[in-house]
Amino acid sequence: MILKSSSSRIVISVIKHIVLIGMLGFLFYVFFGAYENLEALYNTFGKDYFSRYAEAETGSKNLVTSILLDYRLFDSLFEAGILLIAVSGVIWISRHEIEEKNAQFMIDKFKTPDLFVTFSRLVYPLMLAFGFYVIINGHLSPGGGFQGGAIVATAILILYYIDAEKDTNINLIVTVEKYIYIAILLLATASYFTRGAFFTNVFPLESSADAKSIYLVVLNVLIGFKVALGLWAIFTAFLKEGR
Amino acid sequence: MAFFSVLLIIIPVFTALVIYLYKHSAVKYLTFIAQLAMTILAVLYYREFSDQWASTLIVFGDWDLRIGISLINDEISMSFIFLTLFSFWMVLIYTFDTRQSNRTFLFFLMFLQGVFLGLLQTYDLFNMFVFLELTTILVTILIAFKKSGDSFRAAVYYILLNASGVLVFLIGVIIMYNVFGTINVGVIGEAIDSVGEATSVRFAYVLMMAGIAVKSALFPVFSWLPKAHGVAQSAISALLSGLIVKGGLYMFIRINQMFSGANLESGEFFFYVGAATAVVGVLFAVSQKDIKQILAYHTVSQIGIVMMGLSSPDFDTFYGGLLHIFNHALFKSLLFLGAGVIIKAYRTKYVSDMRGVFKTMPAVSIFMIVGMLSITGAPLFNGFISKTIIKYSIEDSTLKSWILFGVNIGTATSFIKMSQIFFGPRRMTLRLYAPFDRIALMGFAFACVILGNFYIPISDGFFGVELSYISVFNFDAFFDYFVALAIGFLIYYFIIKKDYRPIRMIREYKPSFQSANFVFIMFVVVMSVYFVLIP
Repeated sequence: MILKSSSSRIVISVIKHIVLIGMLGFLFYVFFGAYENLEALYNTFGKDYFSRYAEAETGSKNLVTSILLDYRLFDSLFEAGILLIAVSGVIWISRHEIEEKNAQFMIDKFKTPDLFVTFSRLVYPLMLAFGFYVIINGHLSPGGGFQGGAIVATAILILYYIDAEKDTNINLIVTVEKYIYIAILLLATASYFTRGAFFTNVFPLESSADAKSIYLVVLNVLIGFKVALGLWAIFTAFLKEGR
Repeated sequence: MAFFSVLLIIIPVFTALVIYLYKHSAVKYLTFIAQLAMTILAVLYYREFSDQWASTLIVFGDWDLRIGISLINDEISMSFIFLTLFSFWMVLIYTFDTRQSNRTFLFFLMFLQGVFLGLLQTYDLFNMFVFLELTTILVTILIAFKKSGDSFRAAVYYILLNASGVLVFLIGVIIMYNVFGTINVGVIGEAIDSVGEATSVRFAYVLMMAGIAVKSALFPVFSWLPKAHGVAQSAISALLSGLIVKGGLYMFIRINQMFSGANLESGEFFFYVGAATAVVGVLFAVSQKDIKQILAYHTVSQIGIVMMGLSSPDFDTFYGGLLHIFNHALFKSLLFLGAGVIIKAYRTKYVSDMRGVFKTMPAVSIFMIVGMLSITGAPLFNGFISKTIIKYSIEDSTLKSWILFGVNIGTATSFIKMSQIFFGPRRMTLRLYAPFDRIALMGFAFACVILGNFYIPISDGFFGVELSYISVFNFDAFFDYFVALAIGFLIYYFIIKKDYRPIRMIREYKPSFQSANFVFIMFVVVMSVYFVLIP
């Protein structure tokens, strides 16, 4: 009886998989039909607009930055908000009222090799410098606040290999992160008072590219710090959970 | 004045951050100040623009409409905004001064309000996606807020299934951008009739609707809703069932409006999806024993009824569905909040263990009864109005009328079952310190009764829709209601109460995440066949 039920379960699962593969194949077929159809319909309005006007209008040589920090700044604010909420959520969930007994610090169980520590010490300043470079030059070359912030966060995380006992004040990180987010919000709305339009560059449309890039650099730096602090906070929370 | 729409998004987000940062206990009064300010702004905004909605368009950065992000409002979004403000008022009052009312909770709640108001006002597809994603994450955290094992499981189930739905929506948006070179809803809506027959546009419609179906818990992909709404705190359940799940339905309205030039003829398809949602939701609801599971499955079935109305191209039917969104938001929030009070006092979630609620808590019981009469569609209460509009407009089809009648019987059955909690002797219960929860219940109950009696001036003033053909003091209306109630009672007494094996099997059926995904892919395939291959 048991054998029968288990064999029937296997048969059902095989049928399920075959049906699933068939359905995915069908969706693939429909998708390719849509794709072929797309070539005839392809509309390049947005692409042409950005490649023609973006640099003059936003003062950014990097078109991604011009979209991210000017044309669609409102989206970027809430994308930064996603990270903010994720950080707050992780910290809320990993906070325990009761001190757990028998919890041991995992990292000191396996000792990090000396070679690794030495190289980490070498790489750390380089990564930090590269992260800041990517943040600050976000309007000129590929990169920007989000990408550079992630690099800076990775550099900070290497510190934990160098010094596993390192204690971080997670509340301070989160508080500073929230203040930076408020600053980003205020900076983004400031254009209403200078230009009469929300969520764009504070400098008027006809001002020079240099003036506009000041705003882009400031915003990139703020977003970069926010992202770096947010990722750092998440990592610290996970590390505390592991202890 | 047009920038008030931006303030409605920024104020709650800003308030949330300030609440998080300042640790003083008085900071929670700030939520009420912010809420009051937003209400005043919304009323002023409505008075200013109520006859010229086109001038509410605001493009950020003054870019070309096709390039920048824009916000716009109309009667529908404005009515949703008022519903949002009202629901958050009541939930804030309900949770005030209990242990839940700590700062972190208010932080997530206020942020959610800002994001939801953004979702209602946006005129841009990618912006819609960003707000959907943010809503998903916020709701996940609020579901897991209790930090119990059940709530973690439900939260993970919720975020995985909804994230896959939102991703599918994003693929649809990408196809739309390639076809139109813009993602502005209005611009696409004007350009769509020239390419409405194209396969790629139809496939984009399928993908976007599949994402929306997950968000609004339509028939095959509703399994996250009872899990999530059943285990969250009662105030959160009320907010999720009453308001947040309506975000998906709101997007259904918007995307269908955008595609209205493409002649997709989706009406019949979504009517039957809605009908299946309603029937399956009711079947699960009558078999449950946990009071919150009953209410959560009724959310599924009521969403089905809403879809039966909303899917129709005919305006009267559509309006019935739209009105049912508001009515359902009011009575379901009322029922969840009332259930929360009872669960706290009795310390059990099972209907069979709650007896004598009427003698123990008379005020709460009266509000709960108002909610139950509303959800079963009793004349003089708000559920009756919208259900009757839908009933009149599908009268031509016998099958459709019978489906609606069957769902009404099922609803009556499970609320007769739930009404058993009122009978019995008084019981000593713990009186918890929650001074304002009755006020929130009273607010929702009054809203139910007012919408049920003064629907003609309200509907005329807000939407300009004449509803005088619906009369409450109508013999047929009372007759239909009592027939449904009587059949419901018989089904309860002879079938449900006996707890036969099929009922137990339905109750214990818990779809796994794997099967939910399987069903989701199947849903996309069926929709592709219907909308892409057949034409």
